[in-house]
Formats: sequence, C-alpha cells, structure tokens
Amino acid sequence: MALTLWSLYEVVLLCLNAVCILHEERFLAKIGWSSNQNIQGFGEQPSVKSQVLNLVRSIRTVMRSKYVNIVCL
Amino acid sequence: MNFNATSGARYPAQKGSRKKRVSDTAAINAPAYPPAYPPSYPPPYNPFASAVPGTVPPNMSAYDDRNAVPPPYASSPDYSHMHANAPPMDQGYSIPGQFLNEPLVANVAMQYGQALVGSGRQLVDRELEKYIPVSRLKYYFAVDTRYVLKKLGLLFFPFVHSDWSVKYEQDGPVQPRYEINAPDLYIPTMAYVTYVLVAGVILGMQDRFTPEILGIQASSALAWTIFEIAVELITLYITNIQTNLKTLDLLAFGGYKYVGIIFALLLSILFHKTGYYAGLIYSSFSLAFFLIRTLKVQVLPDGSSPHHNDPYTHSSGNKRRMYLLLFVAGIQPLLMWWLSFHLISPPTPKS
Repeated sequence: MALTLWSLYEVVLLCLNAVCILHEERFLAKIGWSSNQNIQGFGEQPSVKSQVLNLVRSIRTVMRSKYVNIVCL
Repeated sequence: MNFNATSGARYPAQKGSRKKRVSDTAAINAPAYPPAYPPSYPPPYNPFASAVPGTVPPNMSAYDDRNAVPPPYASSPDYSHMHANAPPMDQGYSIPGQFLNEPLVANVAMQYGQALVGSGRQLVDRELEKYIPVSRLKYYFAVDTRYVLKKLGLLFFPFVHSDWSVKYEQDGPVQPRYEINAPDLYIPTMAYVTYVLVAGVILGMQDRFTPEILGIQASSALAWTIFEIAVELITLYITNIQTNLKTLDLLAFGGYKYVGIIFALLLSILFHKTGYYAGLIYSSFSLAFFLIRTLKVQVLPDGSSPHHNDPYTHSSGNKRRMYLLLFVAGIQPLLMWWLSFHLISPPTPKS
C-alpha cells in the first residue's frame, strides 16, 4: 500500500531509463513507429501516436545531452 | 536544556535574567558591549554587521577582540579627519559605543544596515522565484472564510449550483476570494494535513498507532498526488488538448479529494464499514460531479465560438476532452478508496 516518495523516484528513473535505451531502428521501425515516417498535415491536430513518439524522442535527446549530469546520482 | 514544562517555575531567577537581557539589546542607547565594526566614519562595508548595533554576530568574536575596546586616547586621533557635520570630538570617547549614541551616526548606521538587509532580501526573492513560483502561489491562497465555507458546501452538494464559469481579469483569473468557481490551494493543503491527523487518530483508536505511520501516511498520500498530477500532465500533452489549466490548478483539483476522504473516515468512526462505504460513495459522487462541471468550463470549448473561426477543434478533439474529463473524475474515487480503506476499524471488538 505504502507508495513512498522513494519508490516514486525509482519508478520515474526506471521509466526514463527504459525510454533512453529503446533503440529506434531495431524496435520501433519494425512496428512502424519510427519518427520520420509520419505523414501529417500542417493544419491538423497531431495524432496521439505522433505525440507519443515526439515525447519519446525528446526525452531521449534531453537525456543524452550534457544535462544528463544533473540526473546522475 | 530542560524540556519540562515546569522548569520555568522552578528557576524564576533564570527566566527573569533572560528577559532583562532581551530588553538590554533592544535599547540602542546603552549597549552592553561595543558593536562589531571599527570606529571610522562612514563605516566600511562589513557583511557581518547587523542592523541593530547592540548585537554581535557569534562568528565575529575574533574580529571583535581586536577592536572591541581600543585604548582610551588612541582612538581620538582617528577622528581628526572626520566629516564637517560630525559631532565635536573633544569629549574624549573612550569606547565606540558612546560614539554611536550620537543621533546622526545612529541614524546613518541604521539606514545603512537596513538598506543592506533590504537588498539582500530582494536578491533572495529573485533567486527563489526561479525555482518556486511564489507570486503565482500567492494567488491560490488569497481566500477568505466566506469562500472556504461556500466551497466546502459546493464540494458536498454541487447539484444546485448553476453558474460554473470563472470571471477573468486582464491578465489572469480573478482571485478565489471574489470568485467561487476558481480553484484554490488552501482547502487542499488543510485537508491533506487534516487527513494525516485523522488517520493518526483512527489508528490510535485501534491501538495500531506508532509515530512513524504519520510520516508514512503523509508521504504516501503525497506520492500518489504527484503520480496523479504527472499522469494528468502527460495525458494533456499527448492528447494535445488546449486548455487554460496550469499545473497548480491540477494540484488544487487533485487535493479536493482529501475533503471527501475525511468525511468518509469520520463516518467510519461512528458507523464502521457501512458508514465508511456510504460516505465514500456519496462524497466520490459529489466530487465527480463537481470536477466534471468545473473542468467542463476550462477544458471543453464553449458553444459560443463560431465554427469557421476554429478549424483545430473538430469532433475528435471533443472526444479526447470528454475522455480526459472522465478519467480525471473517475480516478478520484479510486484514489480516495485506496488512500483510506486500510484505516477503517473492524466492526468486531478486540477481545
């Protein structure tokens, strides 16, 4: 029952780690979820799939940049 | 240190001497010991000088000993290069404490010290604003008694309220003090603290109380609230819904469930399991109604906007918004049950 702040921190860290080590070419392209295949009109609302992929890609970019030192324990 | 309550009565002389010392340092005209900065005019920048010249910072003891009591006549040649409107120096000041008794120097020293403190405080405020939006937080705590009472009534009986719109000023929503439909953070904070205390009381009534569980309850509830807000923010980003809701608004709406939890827990004290579930079902129903009505104004587009002006919101956008509303309103009863079901007392008495 007791979801402590520490376990919340662990969950966040593990999820971020999972997003970081997810390899685009090997896994996402097989499913058809790669980032440069989206055909999206300019005036439409972006679909849920494209938003999720954008989120994953941006998390990976931020984590791999120089700001990763802040997150390291 | 004596932590007993009667220690003050047992040693009245000690208490009296403490009081006398406070009044001594408050009186600038008669400091018990000389101040921290050297006797030159105007005084140089000394980061350890306090605004009240009578007190000495504790880490300046070494610095004090050097110029604390200068020789009586060695200080008088220093005053020869004084300013023209300085007081006459032929009175032979022996310690700098008496020099400060002159009203002009005392005024300048006080103003200088206060200017230092003011600029330091401004710097600290500016730096703090970058990490915690203090000015934004003040909006959520601008409440008064009438608002709190009406809002609590609205949380428990939202069925007769008709106008759910929020009035806006030119740069933001009106303060909660003047607008009953605006979210605030006062009620959620108070309800959260009360929830932890009520949980402690209930566990104490069941002989299950230890001091650690207060911290466990508090951090667990906080972790669930953070998790809920994070899920809501990610959902808002993924579904790309345009709304005026800020993070603190979501925090406010997530905190209203603690009022329902407290109501259900208090019923559980009187009527055990049936009372608890009855209170839980009623308060979750009314909270869901309240949230759907409030969020519908903020999230769903109102019908007055013309269609040709708005190519971005089509039917799928409305469907997403409706799903988000249902998700937010539906997760509240779930979390209310999860945060409190372990606290209800068993109906059978302990043998």
